[in-house]
Amino acid sequence: MQQQTSVNPATENLNLDYGALLAASRRLDPAKTSRKMKIALLSDAATQRFVPVLRVLFHRQGVDAEIYEAPFDGLELEIYNPASGIYQFKPDFVVVLNSVQALRANFLKRTGDSVSFTEETIARMMKIWDGIHSHLTATVIQSNFVLPYERFFGNFDHKTPESFYATVGSINSKLVEASRLRGGVLINDVESVASWLGRRVWFEERFWDSAKYFCALECLPYVGKNIVDVVMAGLGRVVKCVVLDLDNTLWGGVIGDDGIEGIQLSEHGEGEAFYRFQLYLRELRRRGVLLAVCSKNEKANALLPFERHPEMVLKLEDIAMFVANWNDKADNIRQIRETLNIGIDSMVFLDDNPFERNLVRELVPGITVPELPEDPADYVRAISELNLFETTSFSAEDSKRTEMYRAESQRREEQAGFASVDEFLQSLEMRMTVARFDSFHLPRIAQLMQRSNQFNVTTRRLSEVECKVLMEDERWFPLYAKLTDRLSDHGLIAVVTLEEREDSLAIRDWLMSCRVLVRGVEQFLMNRAVEHAKKLELARITAEFISTAKNGMVKDFFQQFGFAKVEEDGDGRSLWVLETGTYQPARTFIRPAVEAIASSVSGTATLSAK
Amino acid sequence: MQSAGNAEIMETLTGVFREIFDSPGLVLHDAMTATDVENWDSLNHIDLIVAIEKKFKVKFTTREVASLKTVGELAGLIQQKLVAKP
Repeated sequence: MQQQTSVNPATENLNLDYGALLAASRRLDPAKTSRKMKIALLSDAATQRFVPVLRVLFHRQGVDAEIYEAPFDGLELEIYNPASGIYQFKPDFVVVLNSVQALRANFLKRTGDSVSFTEETIARMMKIWDGIHSHLTATVIQSNFVLPYERFFGNFDHKTPESFYATVGSINSKLVEASRLRGGVLINDVESVASWLGRRVWFEERFWDSAKYFCALECLPYVGKNIVDVVMAGLGRVVKCVVLDLDNTLWGGVIGDDGIEGIQLSEHGEGEAFYRFQLYLRELRRRGVLLAVCSKNEKANALLPFERHPEMVLKLEDIAMFVANWNDKADNIRQIRETLNIGIDSMVFLDDNPFERNLVRELVPGITVPELPEDPADYVRAISELNLFETTSFSAEDSKRTEMYRAESQRREEQAGFASVDEFLQSLEMRMTVARFDSFHLPRIAQLMQRSNQFNVTTRRLSEVECKVLMEDERWFPLYAKLTDRLSDHGLIAVVTLEEREDSLAIRDWLMSCRVLVRGVEQFLMNRAVEHAKKLELARITAEFISTAKNGMVKDFFQQFGFAKVEEDGDGRSLWVLETGTYQPARTFIRPAVEAIASSVSGTATLSAK
Repeated sequence: MQSAGNAEIMETLTGVFREIFDSPGLVLHDAMTATDVENWDSLNHIDLIVAIEKKFKVKFTTREVASLKTVGELAGLIQQKLVAKP
């Protein structure tokens, strides 16, 4: 395993040496964390040594993790007993860690054929998930199985479904398939961790025999990091934008000196590393990560390869924002952040120049700045190894994100040509659909719940499972809103959940994508909420606001609609009330979309539960 | 490391023990057993063995791991393995 000898603070936090982590686990300071998290660990292997490692890795992310270890190999007992420790613990995440060693023991003692063994294994896992979800709203993080090293049939292992190797492969793919069909189960790809480290290192049979350790101790931190990555993504810590340097990062050489013919960039030959790196970045863009350029260059020079180089993979359409000037990069990155309206902790900066990397690390706290290897051939490998792009969802909207941000800058340019904002908003011909949560939209709803930080009045991070619970509860009116205009389809951009109480309608969640600010979306939605309260003959709407480091833009949100503050505590939590009788509908240029009009004909069909 | 004498081995071992048991003042002697060292339980025992293996680049068998009782035996076994190394 590689040794971390560097004292660079950027890499210190990446140290995955087992001994160092174990030592660090004895000196954790919860005061240095900003949130608490409860994790339950269920395994058919021993996890005593895994727990301290996990706690250190969470601590590095600012999370004080309380970890509940279910009794060894007690998965079923723990799950099927409603009085068991795990249910009293009420975890936020349940990590189910299955070892291939335990699976191997069962397989080798099987009485039926391998197909029925596979089916039984999958059925057992699904029962465990369902058991957990019938008592908890926690998200399950399910491991897959490391492929075994035993080659009972040699290469023919692959050809016969009877081999243990083929069985494990088949269980892994069926496990993932089953998890796709239900919300609330995420995958911990332990197999990928093990194969990267090497199964020769991974399997430590001495300590499986004597202590039921599922891998060599030196591999434990890598499994831990993989789980922490999934959890942090589940909490909304995802990378939304990669900021790129140009010279010697996207191509070899300096465009200002070497000119368009002089830079190295080609599908074959000397510029191949850069070509391959660009392909990698384009794939990230397709999967919803924004790409921005931040380069010290004359802008005309910086644009040249994008416009004229025949082997340039990235085109200007792939770049959400392009900054090339002689200002310092920290300032430019802050400008990119403001324009794209995303958190600094959701940005990654890639630059071949160590000076620029250190400057940005120093001056833009919160941004991720990975070390780039000297050889551009290793750029992709070095970045992949960090697993920076973990996510817990993917929707069609993700792949259109760059397009939407580009449309936004076009919209800003157009706006300059109109006499008034009103005139401009009117010209956009905005249409909105408001509807109750449905299974089709749940993944995107949960994603917005995880990602929205700024326009979010309570910042409750409801998971997909929790959203589904609301969807099925008749006292709740969990609504999503979709917006289209003349220039683009913004997709699902807002979530508002309303709870019917005895004498009031309570606003429990209100969050919006920052892409659609100042359009009248919130005005449209508040009008709908008030109408809805009136329909239910409720005279008041109540709301809660919870202040966070990031949601300052909505601190006056309720006041702006005429709510009165009735309570406030020292922790930034306030309660608000609106008398619906006195509400003046807010002005908005958004009109209901056609299908929304159609469904409102049949009473409150779009709002009420079936 | 091949020609390591017992004193040299004990010195390196002391460093490993101090780290594993988080005890900077720990002094080893030949007759020392698990009961003499705070926190020397079965979990720490495996941590210790793995750390020693890494440090000396040797490997113990399951039987050796289970049967080692004193620090002296451990040092002796390490020396044996170092000498036998090709």
